[in-house]
Amino acid sequence: HRRKPSLIQSIKKI
Amino acid sequence: MVLMAENTDIKKQHDRIFEEEFLPQIDALYTFAYHLTYNEDDANDLVQETYLKAYRFIDSYHEGTNAKAWLFRILKNAFINQYRKKSKQPTKVDYEEIINYHDEEDSQYSSYLDLREEMFQGMMGDEVTTAINALPVDFRVVILLCDIEGFTYEEIAKIIDIPIGTVRSRLHRARNMLKERLKTYAQSLGYKDKRK
Repeated sequence: HRRKPSLIQSIKKI
Repeated sequence: MVLMAENTDIKKQHDRIFEEEFLPQIDALYTFAYHLTYNEDDANDLVQETYLKAYRFIDSYHEGTNAKAWLFRILKNAFINQYRKKSKQPTKVDYEEIINYHDEEDSQYSSYLDLREEMFQGMMGDEVTTAINALPVDFRVVILLCDIEGFTYEEIAKIIDIPIGTVRSRLHRARNMLKERLKTYAQSLGYKDKRK
């Protein structure tokens, strides 16, 4: 099954 | 002053590449990371580490090329480093030994499998999921890259840094191992066990 990341906000560290 | 303006422009360009080419791959990267680690926290760490590394080395990425394959390669390397640290064992597996040993002594075959297999027994009722989870990591990787992400053999060879012939044989063996572990299902499809 494909999974969805929750995390995106934290990466957006960039 | 000029240098500051240049830096701002470079930062803007990097951020644009990140937003337009890297970020759209996050679902695929997370799926891959999750099926490598089977742990949400570890998958989060892997994906985060992948993006931070990708950004750090963004100058070595050629805009408009295969961002997905490039990111997958970074994630795979990060996973191997993490996996080595955790298991304190080399990740290289002697595939011939696995196959030969398996043919000789079925019941002891499990000793060669990923140590995390034990964790799943009794936790997941689905024997197919368990069989996939229990594949040695190098075999699971090619199945995930080919069957789930749709990478070509050539792309897989670049991502995991092995010859294309090895990709082919590893896929063939990985699928055979799955069939072996799913005999009941395979037999219901009409497969005959050719290995005994």
